[in-house]
Amino acid sequence: MDQKLPSTSSSASSGPIADLTYRNYDGPMELPTHRWWAIAKLCIRLATKKRGFWIASVISGYWYLILAAVFFFVDLQTQGSPLGVKNPIFANIVWKDQFLNAFSISQLLLFICALMLGAGAIANDNRAKALLVYLSKPCTKTDYLVGKWMSIFIPITGVVAVPTILFYGYCLMSYRTYGFWTDDPFLLPKLLGMILVPGFFHASVVLGISSLFDQGRMAGATYAGMYFIGLFFTKAMQVIHIVNSRHDRPVPFVDTLYYMSVDGLQIGFAKIILNTQGSTLFPIPQGPSQAARQPLIEIPSVGLILSLYFGISFLAMWLAWSRVRAVEVVG
Amino acid sequence: MESSSRGGGGRLSVHDIELKNVSRWYGEVIGLNDVTCTVGPGLTALLGMNGAGKSTLLRLITGQLRPTTGELLVGGMEPFANPAVYRLMGYCPEIDNFYEHYNGFQFVNFMARLQGFDGAHAKRRTAEVIEHVGMSERAHKKIAGYSKGMRQRIKLAQAMIHDPQIILLDEPLNGLDPVGRREFIDVLGDLADRGKTILVSSHILFEVEQMTRSILLLHRGRLLATGDLREIRGLIDKHPHKIRVETSDPRRLATYMLDRANVVSARFERSGTAVQFEVAEPDAFYTMLMNVIDDHQLLVQGYSSPDNNLESVFRYLVSN
Amino acid sequence: MAVASIHNLVVKYGNFTAVNGLSCEVPEGCTGLLGPNGAGKTTLLKTFLGFVRPTSGTASVVGCDIRTQDRQIRQRVGLMPEQDCHIPGLSAVQFVAYAGELAGMPSAQALRRAHEVLEYCHLGEARYRNVETFSTGMKQRIKLAQALIHGPKLLLLDEPTNGLDPAGREDMLELVRSVSHGKGINVIVSSHLLPDIERVCDQVIVVMNGTLRAQGKISDLKRIDGHPVDVDLREPSPQFVEACIKRELTVNPTKAGAYRVQGAGTPEAINLHVIRAARESGAQIRGLTVAERSLEEAFMTAIQTPAESR
Repeated sequence: MDQKLPSTSSSASSGPIADLTYRNYDGPMELPTHRWWAIAKLCIRLATKKRGFWIASVISGYWYLILAAVFFFVDLQTQGSPLGVKNPIFANIVWKDQFLNAFSISQLLLFICALMLGAGAIANDNRAKALLVYLSKPCTKTDYLVGKWMSIFIPITGVVAVPTILFYGYCLMSYRTYGFWTDDPFLLPKLLGMILVPGFFHASVVLGISSLFDQGRMAGATYAGMYFIGLFFTKAMQVIHIVNSRHDRPVPFVDTLYYMSVDGLQIGFAKIILNTQGSTLFPIPQGPSQAARQPLIEIPSVGLILSLYFGISFLAMWLAWSRVRAVEVVG
Repeated sequence: MESSSRGGGGRLSVHDIELKNVSRWYGEVIGLNDVTCTVGPGLTALLGMNGAGKSTLLRLITGQLRPTTGELLVGGMEPFANPAVYRLMGYCPEIDNFYEHYNGFQFVNFMARLQGFDGAHAKRRTAEVIEHVGMSERAHKKIAGYSKGMRQRIKLAQAMIHDPQIILLDEPLNGLDPVGRREFIDVLGDLADRGKTILVSSHILFEVEQMTRSILLLHRGRLLATGDLREIRGLIDKHPHKIRVETSDPRRLATYMLDRANVVSARFERSGTAVQFEVAEPDAFYTMLMNVIDDHQLLVQGYSSPDNNLESVFRYLVSN
Repeated sequence: MAVASIHNLVVKYGNFTAVNGLSCEVPEGCTGLLGPNGAGKTTLLKTFLGFVRPTSGTASVVGCDIRTQDRQIRQRVGLMPEQDCHIPGLSAVQFVAYAGELAGMPSAQALRRAHEVLEYCHLGEARYRNVETFSTGMKQRIKLAQALIHGPKLLLLDEPTNGLDPAGREDMLELVRSVSHGKGINVIVSSHLLPDIERVCDQVIVVMNGTLRAQGKISDLKRIDGHPVDVDLREPSPQFVEACIKRELTVNPTKAGAYRVQGAGTPEAINLHVIRAARESGAQIRGLTVAERSLEEAFMTAIQTPAESR
């Protein structure tokens, strides 16, 4: 009786002992257009392993949580009050400004996320000479840069999008009676536009700065330096604005300078998209010169903000492009 | 294992490097473990696997480190933080740190000034030494644009600038093309012939073989062998000498050789055109082989000993 | 089919001509690329991979034109760079799998094959360790692994034994030899270490000043006409020399105790004469080999003769 003995493989060299030496690869291959995704996927995977990233990203949405809690309890309270008494908060609320405020408040944490994702993106590769590996494969400089850019853009956009959209959904379901939908039916597309603002800017700038250095730490420190100096500067501008407004000497130039920082540009852009100049949740005590007492800063000029925002982003992208040279791959 | 001869001289001169029970630790990691040896005039090769302690030894000799225990003397003095000893030594390290914006001439000149030469003398010496290493045409270009081979030559130039008695080189042939290697080896050979003590650390055994027969072999921090290569080979009993004979009829030859007790084994190659003997006493074997071939008029294309070289000796010693 | 064909290739960097009208056909098998520093070797390799645009001339590598199809070339070619390189933060298997994905392999296939290739390169034990903790020998082997991951038809190895100690060099050369012989992969090795090239390659191409100086099988380049024999005696012996001369053999001393002997007849016959002469004069022959030029000598001759290809 012929028993069929197990054999190793159906290939030509079959028999009881398998040939485990090197064999060629003739299997399926992906299209070259997807190469950037392989790069982005790996970088995202590596970055999202860091605990710090998750902590920063969750905290970045904290204002939404606070708002949700405040609205919920206020709404609960006013359920029991007699009709005709206007709810102080919901009476004058400008819904889109709530998103703007949350957006502004999350800026610092978004910046930290961007640093964690991107400071070392190109810098570490410079040190490890990773470009030799990338460019010796059928992978171009474009694939590399697009992949790296996406690996910062996608997570940051996600971090902004999730709380914003969740909060939007919550308000849509609960506060339509207070005019959430009727105030601005097109709020959602505008929000989607706003969501893209930080990712685009941070991805471009952080990559540009990262490409200048050999160490992630140096790149991170540089960007942090720029960020905080700008922040300090704009806070100073804010104080000056308030002082000016108290003394009835509005100086519009100061208003513009308020937007001259990493945060400022993004907030300015968000204001433009949402077409608002912001407002506070609680009404301001009335006084003699009401307009002058406004501590809110005017909506900035569209041309200025857009040109700075896109100008700096494209400058940084150009910087990354020119610094990443098809380096001495051989010898 | 030790054999008594040293390369070159043989007299204990005051310029020798002497180690007595030298050990060096880095925390709990051992760098060198109880090494005793001397290095005299001539070219000596310092060999060992990566991590065997070669860099530690060089750093001890050049006075960058102090031995944890034991005594290390260079020219009769301790080298650690001792400028008098530095005058006697030139060091050509493996790493490549230069002032990149200098050109070759300026760099070597700078080194000369650091050695204490005054301006004119320094310039003269610099020109001489740059000529000696074959960099005269290219010395006025910035170092940032130098190839690896050119950097190696500049390193040797700055090591030789003060005409030291002792020169230490760590992987000096790295990055040189075959022409450059030959020239470099010739320069070193010339220096050795003039009575200098040269210690070369290298992994490229077939080149070391062309330079010298005097070796210093380190393994895992310990001194494994020192002295003349041939003697060391003779003393490795565990690995009988291999002698390979190419002939059209290997088995017939083997029958004549096998009844002598000298032969430990005979291996026939698959091609059927050669046989490899392992013998305990090569001297007697060679004479026997010649006689057998002559007496029986055997047709032999040639014979040789494939393991009578530095690589085989290295392998045998290290794999024990 | 030739692995690469080059016709009158000229490559310039500004005013400097690195490759000056080079024409050659790189045959299949394992080829050594030799030449002094600055000869145009590295420029040639860079041009093969599509990093440098040639000024004029044509070349095709693994069947693809270098000007228009450089991406396909990099698809079919694996490069093991001379310098240390890796992707920061990855373990060995992640790194090699990533290299495969960069070459276009689907991630599952890339991971599976990464394990195979790491085993083949003797890195199986260390495959889950971070690449940054590797020793020099392991770094070299992982560079080879990332070059092999996508199953290339041509391997370019740039100084594969750089920084390796003798045992590591032995391993690497064995690996390269096994890859190039019997697995159907063509290999071009660029190295300054001629005995390594001898060990691994069957043929060489010698380049200097941007032109081809010599090309051919190593065995052909090493052969000396008239098949003289090198005789290694235990100690120098003038009596031996006399005895040889009496037998109508010409004798030239080469090193201490070694002589090059030439005569008429077959090598075996000459050997018999030599042994008889040694016996008569009381000398002991320790080595009797067909005299060959070393590859280094052949190389030096090639670069010193005025430009004449082949």
